[in-house]
Amino acid sequence: MLGDQYRLGVDVGGTFTDAILLNEATGEVLTGKVPTTPSDPSNGFLNVVNRMLDEGAKAEGVRYVVHGTTVATNAIIEGNLARTAFVTTDGFRDLLEIQTGIRPRLYDLQFEKVKPLVPRYLSFGVPERLDFRGEVLVELDEEAVRKVAEVLRGEGVESVAVCLLHSYLNPAHEERIGEILTEELPTVLISLSSDVAPEFREYFRASTTVINAAIRPVVSEYLGKITERVRGSGVSGELLVMQSSGGVLTFEAAMDRPVFMVESGPAAGVIAASELGKSLGYEDVISFDMGGTTAKVGLVEDGTPRVTKDYQVGGTASTTEHGSRGSGYPIRTPVIDLVEIGAGGGSIAWIDSGGILRVGPQSAGADPGPVCYGRGGEEPTITDANLVLGRISAEYFLGGEIGLDAVAAQGAIEERCARPLGMSVEEVALGIVEIANNAMVGALRRVSVQRGYDPREFLLVAFGGAGPVHANRLAAELGMARVLVPVSPGTTSAMGLLVTDIKHDYSVAFIRRIDEVDLTSVEEQFAGMDSEGRQALAREGVGSGEMRFVRQADVRYVGQSYELTISLPDGLMGVAEIADVLDRFHAEHERAYGFMAEDEPAEFVALRLSAIGEISKSRVREIGKGVGGSERAVKGRREVYFAERGGFVDCRVYDRYELRSEDVVDGPAILEEVDSTVVVHPGWGGEVDGFGNVWLGLG
Amino acid sequence: MIRNALVEATEEMASALRRSAYSTNIKTRHDFSCAIFDLQMRTVAQSFSQPNHLGSLVETIPRALRSYGIENLGEGDGILVNLPYTGGVHLNDITLISPVYYKGDPVGYVASLAHHVDVGGGAPASIGAFREIFQEGIVIPPVKLVSGGEINRDVFDLVLAQVRAKRETAGDFRAQIASNNTGKRRLTALLDRMGLETVVRYTDELIEYTDRRTKAELAKLPLGVFADEGVMDSDGYSDEPVRLKVEVTIDEEGAFFDFSGSDEQRHAPVNSTYAQTHSGVAFVLKCLIDPDVPVNAGFYRNVRMLAPEGTVVNCTAPFPVVGGWETQLRLTEVIFKALAQAIPDRVPAGTEGMICHSGFGGFDPYRGETYCFLETIAGGFGGRATKDGPDAVQPHGKNTANAPIEETELNYPVRITRYELVEDSEGPGKHRGGLGLRRDYLFPDHEASFTILADRERWGPHGLFGGLPGERAHYVLNPDGEARELGSKVTVQLEEGDVVSYRTCGGGGYGPPGKRDPQDVLRDVRDGRVSLERARDIYGVVVDVARWSVDWEETERVRSGSTERGQ
Repeated sequence: MLGDQYRLGVDVGGTFTDAILLNEATGEVLTGKVPTTPSDPSNGFLNVVNRMLDEGAKAEGVRYVVHGTTVATNAIIEGNLARTAFVTTDGFRDLLEIQTGIRPRLYDLQFEKVKPLVPRYLSFGVPERLDFRGEVLVELDEEAVRKVAEVLRGEGVESVAVCLLHSYLNPAHEERIGEILTEELPTVLISLSSDVAPEFREYFRASTTVINAAIRPVVSEYLGKITERVRGSGVSGELLVMQSSGGVLTFEAAMDRPVFMVESGPAAGVIAASELGKSLGYEDVISFDMGGTTAKVGLVEDGTPRVTKDYQVGGTASTTEHGSRGSGYPIRTPVIDLVEIGAGGGSIAWIDSGGILRVGPQSAGADPGPVCYGRGGEEPTITDANLVLGRISAEYFLGGEIGLDAVAAQGAIEERCARPLGMSVEEVALGIVEIANNAMVGALRRVSVQRGYDPREFLLVAFGGAGPVHANRLAAELGMARVLVPVSPGTTSAMGLLVTDIKHDYSVAFIRRIDEVDLTSVEEQFAGMDSEGRQALAREGVGSGEMRFVRQADVRYVGQSYELTISLPDGLMGVAEIADVLDRFHAEHERAYGFMAEDEPAEFVALRLSAIGEISKSRVREIGKGVGGSERAVKGRREVYFAERGGFVDCRVYDRYELRSEDVVDGPAILEEVDSTVVVHPGWGGEVDGFGNVWLGLG
Repeated sequence: MIRNALVEATEEMASALRRSAYSTNIKTRHDFSCAIFDLQMRTVAQSFSQPNHLGSLVETIPRALRSYGIENLGEGDGILVNLPYTGGVHLNDITLISPVYYKGDPVGYVASLAHHVDVGGGAPASIGAFREIFQEGIVIPPVKLVSGGEINRDVFDLVLAQVRAKRETAGDFRAQIASNNTGKRRLTALLDRMGLETVVRYTDELIEYTDRRTKAELAKLPLGVFADEGVMDSDGYSDEPVRLKVEVTIDEEGAFFDFSGSDEQRHAPVNSTYAQTHSGVAFVLKCLIDPDVPVNAGFYRNVRMLAPEGTVVNCTAPFPVVGGWETQLRLTEVIFKALAQAIPDRVPAGTEGMICHSGFGGFDPYRGETYCFLETIAGGFGGRATKDGPDAVQPHGKNTANAPIEETELNYPVRITRYELVEDSEGPGKHRGGLGLRRDYLFPDHEASFTILADRERWGPHGLFGGLPGERAHYVLNPDGEARELGSKVTVQLEEGDVVSYRTCGGGGYGPPGKRDPQDVLRDVRDGRVSLERARDIYGVVVDVARWSVDWEETERVRSGSTERGQ
């Protein structure tokens, strides 16, 4: 193995720290898992890196390490934040207190607003004012800024967020405040809203900047420590961190703008599904990742995951859905658009006061876990139901690491649900699974139909421990023709860390009617961002041949206040290109909202540029054809309950590791591997491709 | 499953409406609602952004359909209505109702209700101290806006001719049509998937299930008769306060709300329609039961009330309805106050308790067109049994987001010069009320017409169980100059450079302020929410400013000596 080159992905989760090592030459993949060390996650990080190095990789052969981390999110949720101050325009110091004015839960008389990350006594207004065109109405009172600096010194503030009204149009006052504060307080970190998130709507920009400021010291210290320890084990490759929008940032860039990595973890799964789809010729993909506590769904169009800028972090529900407005801290940096629902293997089934069977959102988690784990769980879960239905194996769960207690699962379903409902245990178990499936169908519809996409035109990529157990049924329900289950679905998400490109996102606010826009000024804006991106990538060692620049604009009809992001061509646009942009905007509006208004003028709101440093996609390991048919892989038979057949059906159980290229499996059937189980429903079939992926389709 | 599918369909309608709308009021402030009805015109599912709209669609749809005649409707039609007295609310809330056809047969209806920023009448945004309905704007009986999928130009043009913000209104109507089309598509897809018969059967069951759960939840309330009353400042024409009376009876059949004894209707902006009052009661009920219980006909069956005709809680033609939401929101406050006797640990002390409209308009010198703008200002929430009331929120039936300053200044010729909490405005208590909000509007370069339609200028929100009332609201012209108090229901013609300043009320306190944890008082003082003097005089807590700590000895002395407050 001498001389081989590797890339290493490390994902620090709540319970486990996972590593994945890819040999770039052979496509061979090695995975490792160690317990997360919450008091100092860099210990777990180092442990898993050392384990990977022990198992064969040479430290000097590791070209780069990509890190997925929830350190930023956890800092917010746990309140492990820097002592942060907020500086804004005089008269508006309460922006963080007032928020949007609305309540997160409409009928809850005991509701609370989210607690501002900066206490009111560390929020300051300084005299200055810009108008809505960015022109100065009141000059900045520099003396007032120096007085604020004095207070901050006395209060021991570590980090400052500056957000002035209309600064997205003219950063001069913010920049001057930054200079003065740096002069006065050289050790304090300064985050300017015009730099972190130069977009309009002051509360959202302020909130984004404050989060950036509050997590900066924590994240910097963490990434600094990891750098030190990884370098200590002899790894000299580039250190990168996954950002919320997909794409990676260098540790240095992440230390300045940590708000870009707030949802670093979950993005990886969608990226993995996206890249996997692309490598197999599918550009339109829906990713479905179901684990122990939640199911996450994301949509990929034209090979690019959908990204949202309407996101809240640290609230009761980290989703972009309508109902969660006001429940967390908004951020306006791009985040991969995920719908996450409380439906995982550990989700608990219960009977509500109207006598109806319900599932989740309470979860038994990993501890005590489902009843069948025998670790003290008493409430029946989705995993228990799947066991009772024969869909997962009592003996081969996690490759036999945990023996499951089917009798206990049955007893719990009987006692807690079946008896009160007057139904049989099997009927109830099926009900539990179908209710969960229905919720997941709802999530799949939210990322597709509700955004104007037809799921039937997409490939469903199912992974996570529980994803392949449920995926077939979901696809059938939504009329999706094909489901792809990758090899080792439990590690698919981590794989996303290794296939993502380096990416820097830039944006400028640019509010101009399209029919009146000066096209050279558009080009100037892009040229500025282009050169900034080019320099950043060059600093990170990306050759100009691997650089790619993607231009987009936020567009809306004049008078609307929600924008659609439309891609733009490279270079100076002419009349024809603008006409084309408008056509695509009208079409996108029609798709998203069901109508277009071609007579209405449209305007640009923001221009965006992504500077991408492409990372070579490695070879994927191929498997050969086997001898004879798929019978070779049959390792047993068992009774599995299928609603379509009205009861238990005798099914073949396949060892997925024995399946080879071009093998075909007819449903109903079960395919087992260590970290997951594929359930093939009656009428459906599975086919294995040259890389070991299983494709489900109507038989 | 069907429940989820139906609710999701209404959410999709809502998202289509919100995202394609033109007016700030809809797109940013979410002032709209969507619902699905079955063939019997029973509510089957509803989207939730504005609790205030809860009970209005359920009243409007059947009455509008019956009055138009269902036999006069066909596939692809849509009828428009804002008639207030027969199940409607104020004129700005315009509903579009579309029948849904499946394989050629009618199967139900979808409806979207949106607050349009202007419907004509005597002041921009159609908000003003009007004497009768005809001054309030265009009254629309059920008429066909959409016919066979096409906009009926005659109706569209006639309506648009009456309103100030034509471009926004036209865009918002199109957004409502898009919303209803989305609802129709989703219902059709559901029927394709499940079959008509199954959906109808399960819809019946869903309604029965909802009724069962609502009743089971209400049965947990203590039995008894609980009465209370409250007053609003004035009606904008006389200083005579407007009296609201409430008697809640909780018995084996559930809860019944009787508003007999409330004041007679007035030729002033203080009259609530039947549907508005119904919405208020529905909101209260919804707060008393598990939030997970769906909202449909099975729930509405349990909304039982008596609102005598000809009173401020059920007005008749041609009395004005523009101030109806103010009355209705205050009515919910009075209901909660009555219920404090029954369930003291579940209801808050008095909240802002008003919609607090701020409406203005004029001729936009930048765009060369007439504009108008409407928003509602947040205030303090009441203290609760175990915690303080939040600062600056939109309480109860109103839940519109505030318009971002940058967006407002970009789209309208106004400058917001101040937006902050009002210090010392809280109602003191063991658990204090939230602070009110200040918002100042400067009109630098044109003469605007400005309407304040609000309340709480004479009396702040009530305290509970020894808690004190919140500070009252102020509406001030040119606060840094003449500082003239304008009153809570008025339209004024401004001059260039004038400033209108809103300072809303704080929430009421819960429990005696003398029992408040001194550490909480210290935090409030440090944060500048409560002044040093107020901490000492009202809470009996002495704060050492040099150390930012409680002076326990002095506090002990002040608290043991104080008898007039908080004991």
